[in-house]
Amino acid sequence: MEHQPSEFFSRRQFLKDGVWTVSAALGGAASALLAARSRRQGWLWQIDPYKCIACGRCATHCVLTESAVKCVHAFALCGYCDLCTGYFGPEPKALDTGAEHQLCPTGAIRRRFIEEPYFEFTIDESRCIGCGKCVVGCSAFGNGSLFLQVRQDRCLNCNECSIARVCPSRAFVRVPADQPYLLKDAAS
Amino acid sequence: MKRLALAGLGLGLGIWAAAAQAAQRFPPPQFETDYQIPTVHLSPPREALWEALDAAVLAAALSAASWLVFKKRSRRWIAALSVFSLLYFGFWRRGCICSVGALGNVVLSLFDPSYVLPLTAAVFFLLPLLFGLFFGRVFCGAVCPLGAIQDLVVFRPLSVPFWLETALRMIAWIYLAAAVLMAAAGSGLLICRYDPFVSFFRLSLNTPLWILGLLCLGVGVFIARPYCRFVCPYGLLLRQMSRLSFWSVRITPDECIQCRLCEEACPLGAIEPPTAPWPAKLLPAERRRLGLLILLLPLLMALGGWIGYRLHPVLAAGHPAVALAEQVRLWQSGKMTERTDEIRAWETSGKPAESLWPQEAAVLQKFSLGGLLAGIFVGFAAGVKLIQVSIHRVRKEYQANRAGCLACGRCFAFCPRQQMREKARAVSAEKKQVEG
Amino acid sequence: MRQLLKKMRFAKTNSGLLALLLALGAFGAGFIAYLILDRAFFVKKKVPAAYEYPIEQLAVIDPGLIVCRQVGSPIETGLQRASAVDVDAQGILYAAGDEKILVFSSSGRKEKEIILPAMPTALKTAEGLLYTALTERIELYSPQGEQLAVWANIPAALLTSIAVGREDVFAADALHKVVRRFDKQGNPLGLIGQKDAERGIEGFVVPSPYFDILIAPDGLLRVVNPGRQRVEAYTFDGHLEWHWGSPSMGIEGFCGCCNPVALAMLPDGTFVTAEKGLVRVKLYDDEGNLLGVVAGPRQLGWQAPIRVCEGPQDCQVRGLDVAADPQGRIYVLEQVRNTILVFEKIQ
Repeated sequence: MEHQPSEFFSRRQFLKDGVWTVSAALGGAASALLAARSRRQGWLWQIDPYKCIACGRCATHCVLTESAVKCVHAFALCGYCDLCTGYFGPEPKALDTGAEHQLCPTGAIRRRFIEEPYFEFTIDESRCIGCGKCVVGCSAFGNGSLFLQVRQDRCLNCNECSIARVCPSRAFVRVPADQPYLLKDAAS
Repeated sequence: MKRLALAGLGLGLGIWAAAAQAAQRFPPPQFETDYQIPTVHLSPPREALWEALDAAVLAAALSAASWLVFKKRSRRWIAALSVFSLLYFGFWRRGCICSVGALGNVVLSLFDPSYVLPLTAAVFFLLPLLFGLFFGRVFCGAVCPLGAIQDLVVFRPLSVPFWLETALRMIAWIYLAAAVLMAAAGSGLLICRYDPFVSFFRLSLNTPLWILGLLCLGVGVFIARPYCRFVCPYGLLLRQMSRLSFWSVRITPDECIQCRLCEEACPLGAIEPPTAPWPAKLLPAERRRLGLLILLLPLLMALGGWIGYRLHPVLAAGHPAVALAEQVRLWQSGKMTERTDEIRAWETSGKPAESLWPQEAAVLQKFSLGGLLAGIFVGFAAGVKLIQVSIHRVRKEYQANRAGCLACGRCFAFCPRQQMREKARAVSAEKKQVEG
Repeated sequence: MRQLLKKMRFAKTNSGLLALLLALGAFGAGFIAYLILDRAFFVKKKVPAAYEYPIEQLAVIDPGLIVCRQVGSPIETGLQRASAVDVDAQGILYAAGDEKILVFSSSGRKEKEIILPAMPTALKTAEGLLYTALTERIELYSPQGEQLAVWANIPAALLTSIAVGREDVFAADALHKVVRRFDKQGNPLGLIGQKDAERGIEGFVVPSPYFDILIAPDGLLRVVNPGRQRVEAYTFDGHLEWHWGSPSMGIEGFCGCCNPVALAMLPDGTFVTAEKGLVRVKLYDDEGNLLGVVAGPRQLGWQAPIRVCEGPQDCQVRGLDVAADPQGRIYVLEQVRNTILVFEKIQ
């Protein structure tokens, strides 16, 4: 304790400044490195439709009460079947739009007659909850034209996606923001 | 968009393409009526511009916070800014992206070559640290939405004894080590998964998360900002920045008159009273103790490493590859009779069980090394903490602890010098008005 | 002012320590409870029954209905994409796929490979010849692998099945949804099954590339109309005589939107049908009465309604093809694993 206070502080101050400068330089270098390794484009969550088994967890595990995952219909793959197995339950009494024959728990699929014997099926997005029941029916028997996708206008893009965490087939992948959807299409 | 266009073109080309590629893609029917096959319209994601705006708001909020803490010295304005941050980064941006969670993105990008760090995440991670290097923890005080929501409920803060506070902070060190390990090994982003307030921000009904959030807020009434002090891993990084910060928060605007009025002003217990030099006769004993603690450091590191290594199967259990291998083992041995979706997915993928074991082993190996390093790190942190608390520092005035101070500005109003200054300012303003 | 500050001053009493420890204890207990809840509620959260399609329950078949048993172990074709199977009078087995035809002895040993210029889409052995369709055309090979004839291309066709009569050859065209009739030299003789209200023909509905035909001993052509879940009997001139079959997930009907996918005939005139989706192979008489089940989803290795696959090529619904030999054995080509399973009637 023989030190003069002023001397003591100035030595400390000098040390401190040194440490600060060094750490600022190191931090700056690390930041520059990190920034150089980063890129402007962000990532979004998406479902690889070929890996998805439509287990139904998308409807229940999204942080949004109405899931960000919804069914998409790739018309170009559709068979336009009269007896659509994505639309009708396993044993429909009649092939019409009666609610009791429909598979969808929310009645979100619309059936429209085009010409004999073809029918068009469209998804009413405001009703779809992304349970994938129709996807199971369509993929099990048909062409797989119905499949689930994360609707990017709804998705909050959580850093850790709650659905991805429980996806049994690891179908959730990060996609670059300029390719927000992984669609099934006729050209592939 | 290209894919969409292709899907649309599929109508025309599909027939020929499918014919050429044999039975790979079967085209839709050829309609006799003039029905056109609709194209798939999918809404685009949020514009990237908004993310730039988020980064800009962050920078602005940090600058404003620094100015409010160092120049304006007004608790009211700091509180207002923190409410704004809560509304913007919390409720408006739904808690994503945040700087605390961006730690996970940074680690992920360092270990997973397929994940390139988005610039926004880099900015959110780096900017508060950079400000920390100059101004201390202004981010915690006024910008962090997690801090802001806890700051709103500090009604009856109790003072946490120094030993307890220090011991509890070890939770954050363990959490930091675990979060880095999980992100590096591909197990997920722990900090985001267990963010206690995110389900408030999203107004989403996730029962366990609501319980955790309400618990934090409930405890927060008595123990100010428990998440920030004892859990937040990003807060630890900011503490280290703040220790080095160029400027640090001062309770008094000019000179401390040692009136002791501010002594109990800080709900976080970050205000340290002046200390006298230690009596010379105690010094040898203290030196011996310090020596022992320094010797203890490698022992603690070894102990931590051992525990971390032993715990690695537990830590790895949440990794998807390990979890799947475990389920398949149970399923094959007949111990699990329910055919889960995971088993279903694995069976239909056509991958043999033998291909799962090497993947599992690779992850376990990662975790055994990672667990060891994480344990050593936690042991090191504990040892350094012990050394730190036994070093005696001479303080001449009431000071905010550089690491612990969250720059909330509550203590400013307690300082009579500050009050005098405000009064003088008010008087001169009045005078000006009168003259005017 | 000082009074006010005193009031604002935060409590700092020793009795507070107790409350503090209590609060911390609550925090710790709550956190542990949370972790347990998180696993119970979140990770193991059950999907409501209304969201689940109970196809697996439909895959269970009454064992009393099964009239066949598997013979030996499945024959691995080793093909990436097997398309068709057929068997000749001597019991020699042929499998088409991957731009080749594989020849197996009756014991299932691979004897020979016939290299084709393109992916085969159909295969039929008749009168000691191999008729194979390569998407748009028919090619003839000798069993030794010698190319004997190449018939003219049919633009934008997808020929998925061939039937050979005494003087005619028929090919099912899944894209044009018609059956094409040829003479033995490959000259087109006409089309069968086009929509024709006067003749009472509703037309074929073929939503996926499975469209099978055969010629029955009664001299009539049997054509599967998969989109209408039935089998139709036509004269060679294209008159629709009758049809049988009905849609149902139940065992007596044809399941899904487009079944059956393949048809074969046993020496006693019994029809063998194969369905994709809920894979099952069944026996019917000529009026559409179910005679028994050859194999159901369990016997055919069916695992789940949706498979996890690598990409678009892999992800199409894989179907089945069936063939029967003069001894009444049934050969089922299963297109997921590309294996041939052999069944015979339980005596």
